[in-house]
Amino acid sequence: MNEMSYNEVTRAIIRPMGSAGTFYKCVVAFWFLGIVVGGSCWGYQISQGLGVAGVKNPIAWGTYLINFVFWVGIAHSGTLISAILYLFRAKWRTAISRAAEAMTIFAVMTAGLFPLIHLGRVWLVYWILPYPNQRNLWPDFQSPLVFDVIAISTYLTVSTLFWYTGLIPDLAAVRDQSTGWRRKIYGILSLNWMGAHYQWHHYGSAYLFFAALATPLVISVHSVVSWDFALSIMPGWHSTIFAPYFVAGAIHSGLAMVLVLLIPLRTLYRFENIISMNTLENIAKTIIFTGFIMSYSYGTEHFIAWYSGGVEQDSFMWRMTGHYAWEFWVMLFCNSIVPLFYFFKKLRTNVYSLFVIGLLVDIGMWYERFVIIAGAPAHAHDPFMWRVYSPTIIEYGIMFGSFSLFFFLFFLFAKYLPAVSIAEVKEEAPRPLRRRTA
Amino acid sequence: MVDLGRRDFLRILGMAGAATAATGCSEPTRKLIPYIIPPEDIIPGEANWYATTCRECPAGCGLLAKNRDGRVIKVEGNPLHPVSGGKLCARGQASLHGLYNPDRFTGPLKRNERGGFDPVSWDAGERLLVQRLKEIVAGGRGERIVFVSELVTGSMKDLIDLWVKEMGNPAGHILYEPFAYEPLRKANEIVFGYDGIPAYRIDQADFIISFGAGFLETWLSNIEYARQYAAFHTLSASGRNPFVYVGPRLSMTGNNADLWIPVAPGEEYLIGLGMLRVILDENLCANMPGETKNKLGAMASPWTLEAITARTGVDPDLIHQVARRFAGAKRPLALAEGLSLSGPHATETAVAANLLCAVHPGSQAAIDSAGRSAYSDVARADTIKELTEKMKRGEIELLLIHEANPAFSLPLSWDFRKSLESVPLVVSFSSAIDETGAFAHLVLPTHTPLESWGDYSPRAGVTGLMQPVMGTLFDTKHLGDVLIGSGKAARGGERFPWKDFHEVLQSSWTRRQQTMAPDIPFEAFWEKAVETGGVWETGIAGTAGIPVRLSPFAFPTPNEDVRPETGLHFTTYPSVLFFDGRQANRMWLQEIPDPLTMITWDGWVEIHQETAEKLGIRRGDMLLIKSPYGRLEAPAIPIPTVPAGTVAMPMGQGHTNFGRYANERPANPMLLFSSDLDPATGGILRPAFGVTLEKTGKTMSLAHVDGSFSQHGRGLMRVMAFDDYGKAIASKLEPEIDYPMPEGFDPEKDFYPAHSHKDYRWVMIVDLDRCIGCSACVVACYAENNVAVVGKEQMVKGREMSWLRIQRYFDDDKPIARWLPMLCQHCDCAPCESVCPVYAPHHSKEGLNNQVYNRCFGTRFCLQNDPYKVRRFNWFTFTRPKTLEWQLNPDVTVRGKGVMEKCSFCIQRIIEAKSKARNEGRKLVEDGEFTTACAQTCPANVFTFGNLLDPNSRASRLIQDPRAYQVLGNLNTKPAVIYLKRVTKPLEV
Repeated sequence: MNEMSYNEVTRAIIRPMGSAGTFYKCVVAFWFLGIVVGGSCWGYQISQGLGVAGVKNPIAWGTYLINFVFWVGIAHSGTLISAILYLFRAKWRTAISRAAEAMTIFAVMTAGLFPLIHLGRVWLVYWILPYPNQRNLWPDFQSPLVFDVIAISTYLTVSTLFWYTGLIPDLAAVRDQSTGWRRKIYGILSLNWMGAHYQWHHYGSAYLFFAALATPLVISVHSVVSWDFALSIMPGWHSTIFAPYFVAGAIHSGLAMVLVLLIPLRTLYRFENIISMNTLENIAKTIIFTGFIMSYSYGTEHFIAWYSGGVEQDSFMWRMTGHYAWEFWVMLFCNSIVPLFYFFKKLRTNVYSLFVIGLLVDIGMWYERFVIIAGAPAHAHDPFMWRVYSPTIIEYGIMFGSFSLFFFLFFLFAKYLPAVSIAEVKEEAPRPLRRRTA
Repeated sequence: MVDLGRRDFLRILGMAGAATAATGCSEPTRKLIPYIIPPEDIIPGEANWYATTCRECPAGCGLLAKNRDGRVIKVEGNPLHPVSGGKLCARGQASLHGLYNPDRFTGPLKRNERGGFDPVSWDAGERLLVQRLKEIVAGGRGERIVFVSELVTGSMKDLIDLWVKEMGNPAGHILYEPFAYEPLRKANEIVFGYDGIPAYRIDQADFIISFGAGFLETWLSNIEYARQYAAFHTLSASGRNPFVYVGPRLSMTGNNADLWIPVAPGEEYLIGLGMLRVILDENLCANMPGETKNKLGAMASPWTLEAITARTGVDPDLIHQVARRFAGAKRPLALAEGLSLSGPHATETAVAANLLCAVHPGSQAAIDSAGRSAYSDVARADTIKELTEKMKRGEIELLLIHEANPAFSLPLSWDFRKSLESVPLVVSFSSAIDETGAFAHLVLPTHTPLESWGDYSPRAGVTGLMQPVMGTLFDTKHLGDVLIGSGKAARGGERFPWKDFHEVLQSSWTRRQQTMAPDIPFEAFWEKAVETGGVWETGIAGTAGIPVRLSPFAFPTPNEDVRPETGLHFTTYPSVLFFDGRQANRMWLQEIPDPLTMITWDGWVEIHQETAEKLGIRRGDMLLIKSPYGRLEAPAIPIPTVPAGTVAMPMGQGHTNFGRYANERPANPMLLFSSDLDPATGGILRPAFGVTLEKTGKTMSLAHVDGSFSQHGRGLMRVMAFDDYGKAIASKLEPEIDYPMPEGFDPEKDFYPAHSHKDYRWVMIVDLDRCIGCSACVVACYAENNVAVVGKEQMVKGREMSWLRIQRYFDDDKPIARWLPMLCQHCDCAPCESVCPVYAPHHSKEGLNNQVYNRCFGTRFCLQNDPYKVRRFNWFTFTRPKTLEWQLNPDVTVRGKGVMEKCSFCIQRIIEAKSKARNEGRKLVEDGEFTTACAQTCPANVFTFGNLLDPNSRASRLIQDPRAYQVLGNLNTKPAVIYLKRVTKPLEV
């Protein structure tokens, strides 16, 4: 990156855009098919009822809530990278901030579908909004689900505005390189950005403002999501550690997802100069740190459960040894042990190991949500109601649809929008020198 | 801008208008036409109650049927009827499903060549019957006509008797009941010289020992005995009457006992003999006449106490203890089941029990010989055998069947089906298909009991009237009308001079009136009888007693009583839900778990957990069970209800042709029995045989609702030792309750302020000491609140909809089951209320947690946050067949998919009572003026529903009982359902 001039930066980032090869088309078509599969499964569920999923008395929340928390968690590290690290002036985040923020938005969009999917009567979902109605009915603001609606919608709004604001100069750059109808579209999208001084001034202020606004959301949104569980009386959920535990877990899974997304992107687009190994290494180091927080959280949870005795102790013992023991140990291995491999420099500077470990962390984090959301209600206060939950094909279909939606959007983003922030990379690049004399 | 001229605009407007008008019917107009000439009695929105008699089993409880807008939607016990006393068991509550059975015959049918049925008209069907009748009668072969019916009495029995007599077979009416209690009848003959079965006054006894008699489940008259038992076993500070149960299995009745003496099937009589020995040897009954003493001594002589101990494995000190306790009581009562199916030596056991009653005049006082049971006249198995033989030999030309199913209930080795095939014309008058009716050539379906006139006398001194409680559903006729019609056609009108059965009934009751109340006009007598539900003697507190008249009887000697060499002991038992299997086609009863195994929708074989572990058998493994007479496959359940060495199976499942709910469910234990007869009793012979178990390798998913056998020390269902109870009463101990009232709120532990209540704070007290486990409350709740039945597949997936359920926990250290009726606790500090995003669970001003169905959009957070897990989600839009929709209660919403529901404390009844009070100018509803459906039907009065703001209500008093506690009270939910601990009192001398 140090050697590249402004022009080279622009061209390097824009070059992969626009031309869609066969491979790309096939993959996108596959993701689109996945969306159709997920949508059909959801449509079937709406017509038949929640019974087509595996949920039951007393485990009424299954993969839908698991995926909800999973995707919201993924979203958070995008904002961490693009907003918080921006405020900290961490230079290594520049190249990846655009893609990370895109990941955030698409993850939040995907996550936002799940509260709708898991509803018994989704056509009435608007009742959760405080809108004026003739019955003078408010939603119950005491309910964590209403907090969720407020938090997620705020997060989506702020993230989208933040991301879009950052995109404007880049879209103008793409517009300037394009012709024909592409030029028109990018022109509209870039809001007639001309690069004038006052525009850059507003851009800088707005970007800073949104970064500042998005920063607290990283902590608050996932805390709110965690309170869906912590504000209940369910043993295994009712714990004050949930907010920091979930936020740390969110960062943990999100950073891993960043690696999973960006490493193939970097390789396929040949962004090795732009997204340096140093950046990837820093992400890996952060994953070690969040991994430690996760291990501490697991330790605290289990200690407090043991210390409490009774129902709490039984619940956690069952997690380790009962029906879901396999999921528990996968979670523990992938979240706590696997990140330790990043201590080896060889493993954190090699794209393959970076990718694999990131994938394992994501799998582990998915299973963590499973163990919490399915494992706790399966073994609660009354032994008469101890049961076991297994997802059904419809749930797998919808889950596949959600992953497909995410990757579909991300692939479209990678092809049709600049995947790296041109303006910000240029800010890092050395200033162009005067033309050298021969 | 679109250029639109005026003409164009008007043209478009016209077309649009026409289009709108053409498709304008967005919803078809619905009309509510008021009755111009209203049917008698019907006021839309108000229910009429009609008294009739339940015919689900021979107990004959009087019931009140609630008729709304022409349809009966609920049945409850008739409070005036001496048998039911206002209560009804699970089977009685489910009688609605017999009336609305979707597999009922909708009209007459005739067998076709392919073996199926074709509809025919009544004329054609009756003509066929009459034709054959005439043929047979003309040929002088009238004795080849046989009518097999369920147990009927009174006018119906007389008419059938007359009919077969007129056709030429005076002995041609056979009353068939699978439970004919031949051993019990024989034992009563031997010890009391009594022909039949008397009435037992359990409430007059002060000590009961039951040798396998499931008097709380199906034995003789379970509602009457359950009510009497509740009175017998009522707790007081000074003590409680003990109940001892001797049997091969921990039955529902046995689980209520203060002591269960497990013995192998067939060895119960040895315990009785042991007690007799102790009483005689230690001279515990000094005022026994010497002659009786000698006779008893002679009868008990083959067995010494050592031999008994060696054979049964029962501690001799225990036998001593029980014998002394029995002898020391003032009115001890020994009951025996008297069914040969449960185990061998049923007669010996019944004789032993009767002999125990014979030692003490007090016992005889608790038996009412004047209340002779209708069971006494049921045909014994030898009569059925004779009939079967005749049928096989082709000596029966016409077999008429009404609500009897011997093809299912008789042992398979009896091969009744083969005999059926030899009868040239089989006519079924039953209302729905069953295994026997499947062999009919002609089906002339008759009214179900709820659609019929009639009378039924379960015991001498009580005659219940039956009346149609709604119009006829299908193209059926009253059996009496068919008999009169065919009788007239075949034998002439002068022999059957009545117009219809109603006339028969009235003429019979005219005679009754002339003897009972000759001074009042018949119409007044009749009206009163119909309104009351029958006639019975009232005001008689005591019993007629029963004299002892011993006949010679020899118990088998130790050498004669041989144990089976190999295999496990086998016992079968009548089902509290299905009786002998006749209620297996009621979907409520299939869906409701068995009180001990908690299994729905299937039969099972109970096997001791250690035995199962040794053989590598797990729950759901399909076992091949073989006896010397047959074999069957059934799923195993390792469970503490049987001792090691015994396996048990319920009766009632295993139907092959009994409708959509009953078919293809394992298994029918009658497949394992022999068809030999016991010449002594006339009943089915039950030798001591062992069964072998083989794993088939197949498994079946059992739809059981219990997640664990144990409470894991969590104190959900609590017991209290009697001594502690006595101390608590003496020290006026106040129970540890978080009152669901402002008094219960403590700013130290409560974050939110207390709810305030207006006029009422509804609470429910559940007395666990009284609960017998019968699950009648559960069926009543299903009926009252339109609770959906989800079917086996959904039950396996854990989607039950029961608002009230009986939870069963086994003790960790001994084989005893604990029942905890669990329903919405209507917490004052409800965890479910604060987590719903749309206020669907809403706390009312009267303390109820109201689930607003219309507001719920199904996030299910309330279910997740409910520690009692009583909330039920509609995972699908559960439907029911069309005929069963007629049973739905119009006062309760029928819920669709995506909506949460739960117990509402029968809010429709609360509102009804408040409206009534308001209409009558009263401000408040009085305590006991109404109650919830579960409380209404419970024969043991477990539930007390009332207003805590009324200091004089029963609930306000009971909440101060030192036994009171709240389930999961430590979670600070402040439940409005207060439980009273069950008191355990071991047997002491």
